[in-house]
Amino acid sequence: MDAEIYLDLDTFVHRLDPRTKIFVLLTSFVLILYFYNPLWVLPLSALILCWGWLSHTLSNLKRLRYIFTVMTISSLVMWTLFSGGDTPLFWIFEVEAVKYSIARTLVMLSLITAGMNLLSTTRNEELVIGMIKLGLPYRVGFAISTSLRLVPTIASSTQTIAQAQRSRGLDLDGGNVIERIRKYIPLLIPVFISTIRSTNTFAMALEAKGFGAREERTFYLEPKFERLDYIVMAVLAVLFAVTTYFKFAGYGMIDGLIRF
Amino acid sequence: MKEVGTMWKYTQMIILVSLSAAIYAALLIVFKGGIPLIPGITEVRPANVFPILFGLLFGPAGAWGAAIGNTIGDLFGGTLGWGSIFGFFGNFFLGFIPYKMWGTLNLVPKDDLSPNTNTWRKFAAYVIIAFVAATACGVVIAWYLDLMGMVPFAALGIIITLNNFAAELILGPPLLLLLYPRIKRWGLLWTDIMDVDDVADGFAKEIGAILMIVGSLGGLIIGLGISTGLYGQELFQFGAGEAAKVGVWLGVLPFLLLIVAASFMLSGKELFVEEIEEF
Repeated sequence: MDAEIYLDLDTFVHRLDPRTKIFVLLTSFVLILYFYNPLWVLPLSALILCWGWLSHTLSNLKRLRYIFTVMTISSLVMWTLFSGGDTPLFWIFEVEAVKYSIARTLVMLSLITAGMNLLSTTRNEELVIGMIKLGLPYRVGFAISTSLRLVPTIASSTQTIAQAQRSRGLDLDGGNVIERIRKYIPLLIPVFISTIRSTNTFAMALEAKGFGAREERTFYLEPKFERLDYIVMAVLAVLFAVTTYFKFAGYGMIDGLIRF
Repeated sequence: MKEVGTMWKYTQMIILVSLSAAIYAALLIVFKGGIPLIPGITEVRPANVFPILFGLLFGPAGAWGAAIGNTIGDLFGGTLGWGSIFGFFGNFFLGFIPYKMWGTLNLVPKDDLSPNTNTWRKFAAYVIIAFVAATACGVVIAWYLDLMGMVPFAALGIIITLNNFAAELILGPPLLLLLYPRIKRWGLLWTDIMDVDDVADGFAKEIGAILMIVGSLGGLIIGLGISTGLYGQELFQFGAGEAAKVGVWLGVLPFLLLIVAASFMLSGKELFVEEIEEF
């Protein structure tokens, strides 16, 4: 069950303290949600992409190309339809709605990229230690980081199972709503069973390695803040302050936009 | 709610949190888009059936798994935002309420409290619990997002409730029927993993169950009444009326407090009995 998102490279991002990388992720999430105008979202998206480029982890985004494509199309269509504005573009579409849909799509893709950047540059153990150093109990941190690692594996096996069932004649798109929902049963059962059946083996493997043997846990890895961490944190603080200033000064909005 | 904390000392329960969260998140992402329930407005997400299954089978690990899984689903699905905060709590209740209420409705026979849908009485209990949990989740999330001025209560409260309930009602019973024997055989039921002493004693459990139903359904009904009556919001309509109005959050708040109070009154200890069942 090895998800293998982590890329074993030696870039400066890989060498950063996991707490720094967690802060980079959290700051990205907060800042990118500030703005509605795509021109204001774009620089932040570019920074996230740049972070991925510096850490040589953008290749990992290929794993999510299917999800990226589906989400980009659906997001552009849905947000254009579900928002409105004053300036007609063509047919039923308004300029403000199109701008907003582009911004929302950029936000979605950037959030995923930011998450992948963290997972591609941080080992599971480092992530757990980072969370613990930030105050999360060890076991909770372990559960969260393990889930994060497993999601791409399970998502990938779900798609394989879906293709296998379709090749056996399962038609997920036909019938009324109830029939269509019921057709998901042959997909959900294999996914659930194939994942959950490993619980006991997984637990035994962990306990064999001393998981939970002592209340006070010590770590082989002891991350500590180096000069580079302080520099990144300082840049992050400046970026946060400047972006927050622009947000509260009223920049980055779309005049005339009607959300929902 | 003692078991929500004490479960973390069991390795198997921790693994179940991880796996439940990963399954829920992965399916939320893969089946994003779902099946239209009201075309253009809302859709059924097949993955929404899992929190109740996780709750009934894995107890508190299922509740944590649903909460964490939804947040990870938001992260990988690109929908992480301020709403994810109460999405966490809403989904936690979606997995928490089922195992807390299962033994308190007096529908499930005391000599066979196994979380299954193999009898009509258990099926009826399942339907009631699924609706209460779906509603509690809807009320918690819609209340918060209306309070933040992001989405009107009348639109979101009813959509989340319907979304959750449709998947739980159609997919839940057959899945539970098929999955329960396997989970039982593998020794992965939460009642087979946890020690009974690590579970909350609770008090006045039947009243707790009633309060949970009143809190959930009352919150939705009152919230819809205030938001549509006073503020011009419309069911299933995102653009209608005004959100972030004091009436909605003050009107729904007592019901949310009822849900929290009921959570402390309910136990789950009653499920720790010898089960006689043939597979």
